[in-house]
Amino acid sequence: MFSKFSSFYEKGRNKEIVAGLSLISVAVILNLVFGYFAMIFAFYLSFFKWDYIGQMQFVGLKNFEIVIRDLIRGFHGAPYLLSPFYTGLKNILIYTAIVVPIQTFLAVVLAAFANQKIRGQQFFKVSYFLPATTSSVIVALIFIWLFMKNGFINYALAHIIPGFQPIDWINDRNYLLLAIAMVAIWGTSGHFMVSFLAAMQAIPREIYEAAMLDGAGPIRRFFFITIPMLRPMIVYVVVMGLIGALQMFDLAWVMAGANGGPGGAGYTVALDIYNEAFTRIRPGVAAAKSWFLFAIIFTTTYLFQKKYGRAMR
Amino acid sequence: MSPKEREKLIRRIWIVITYVVLITFALVYLMPFIRSLVASFMTWAQASRYPPEWIPHPFTLENYEKLFRLELFPRWIRNTALYAGLIVAGNILFASMAGYAFARLKFPGRDAIFSALLSLLMIPMFVTLVPNYIIIYKLGLIDNIFGLSLLGLTNVSSIFLMRQYFMSLSNEIFEAARLDGCGPIKAFFYIALPLARPALGAVAVYQFLGSWNAFIGPLIFLRSPENFTLPVGLSFAFQRSMWTEYTPIIAGSLVASAPTIILFLVLNKYLIRGIVITGGKG
Repeated sequence: MFSKFSSFYEKGRNKEIVAGLSLISVAVILNLVFGYFAMIFAFYLSFFKWDYIGQMQFVGLKNFEIVIRDLIRGFHGAPYLLSPFYTGLKNILIYTAIVVPIQTFLAVVLAAFANQKIRGQQFFKVSYFLPATTSSVIVALIFIWLFMKNGFINYALAHIIPGFQPIDWINDRNYLLLAIAMVAIWGTSGHFMVSFLAAMQAIPREIYEAAMLDGAGPIRRFFFITIPMLRPMIVYVVVMGLIGALQMFDLAWVMAGANGGPGGAGYTVALDIYNEAFTRIRPGVAAAKSWFLFAIIFTTTYLFQKKYGRAMR
Repeated sequence: MSPKEREKLIRRIWIVITYVVLITFALVYLMPFIRSLVASFMTWAQASRYPPEWIPHPFTLENYEKLFRLELFPRWIRNTALYAGLIVAGNILFASMAGYAFARLKFPGRDAIFSALLSLLMIPMFVTLVPNYIIIYKLGLIDNIFGLSLLGLTNVSSIFLMRQYFMSLSNEIFEAARLDGCGPIKAFFYIALPLARPALGAVAVYQFLGSWNAFIGPLIFLRSPENFTLPVGLSFAFQRSMWTEYTPIIAGSLVASAPTIILFLVLNKYLIRGIVITGGKG
């Protein structure tokens, strides 16, 4: 009797194991191939010289040496054609330093304003989120037109800032990166605003009510209650923002072109990896550069989480 | 002025400030769409005038006609729809299967495999890009929508979202099914899947937006213009300056973003719920 029950039980266990493994099989196999195998292959590839067709030639650390030489040349002031990786890295760090703080700040502030008893909250949420639903390529195409010298943005700025002289945003090496950053902020801050709004609505009302009884006005409530309670969400948004900004590709590709526009002002590390792999046909160097990008993303997000992410979980 | 009146006044001023800020930013976020919509019915001569004009005169459908006269444009729409359809279908099916197994079934190595999948989220796509190009190339699937779809068929974040959802369901219903002799696979199709509609909706909307708007994958894996998706096609048309005027590009951009905008307007509740699920616990 007992053995019969245990065999029934065993059968059930086995059935569950077989079912579990078969249900995950497709997901695991595809991620094994296009995730893990690809990653190992990228590591392997970074030690070889290859042109996709002929024999792979082992070159040791030479591909990494190419990247480091590029960085050193750029550091000593070489023009961007001689130090594309350095140029891309410099641009992307400036871009990240502009985009991530502004988009996070804007998202928090707008969410705080929208998180009140007001009419039309849904309308504001939808309008702010709309840019995030649109392809970055299409956004970039529209903004090229808006950023033209006699375009709408110059017109609007001329009415807001007294004495503003129209700028040729896209063709001026001093302003191209700033223009791309503005588009990125416009495109992503609304998405993060909705994230913050959701997090704010989860903050218990009693805390605010207690503070109001103590006479704290809206500004003080924002700084002493909302911001500390939002900390996990702020960390999440900054980390996602960093990951996105450091890999920026689409906007630069359309607004600056594959070569980064005038003086390489819009060149990014991601564009450089693309060019290395598919224009200069050096997949090994591209793989080496992608490991550098990985290291940069990993270190910045790790450091940020370590410093501010204590409250998480 | 009594303190009560004062408080009322401050409150009123604060509400006014709130509306001014929110409406100003709503204008900033919506303006590019409004401007493009108006300009898509203008001639380029009028759309490029300074100061900007707001009423199309003459009102023209020429930009849209030019777009659809181009044989490639309808093809790009079809390709994008096919690609998005494959990705959405793949993610709904495989992510719900895997999410269910990770959440509700016991098998050896379950947690280790799941964390191995999750750690893939930390790898930037640029690391795996070149190797994946080579894999797809060796499979002979370059310039093929199906080859491109293979890469996105099972997204780790969809699996994560589905797992979170299945874990939130109560145990009892699955226990009852098991006692009635319902095997794990049957329980998935007859119990778990019908219950998972809200999560499947979130996965579908996310994957649709992601694949409809995808750029770098289609740019690298598709070679010939007739196989392009809309974002790649439009950037190609722009860089080749297939039009001397800019208005058809604007019209094309609006046509290309119409499905995602409409989908968002209809389903924004799903999407925002998805943000809450993934953002709050990610």
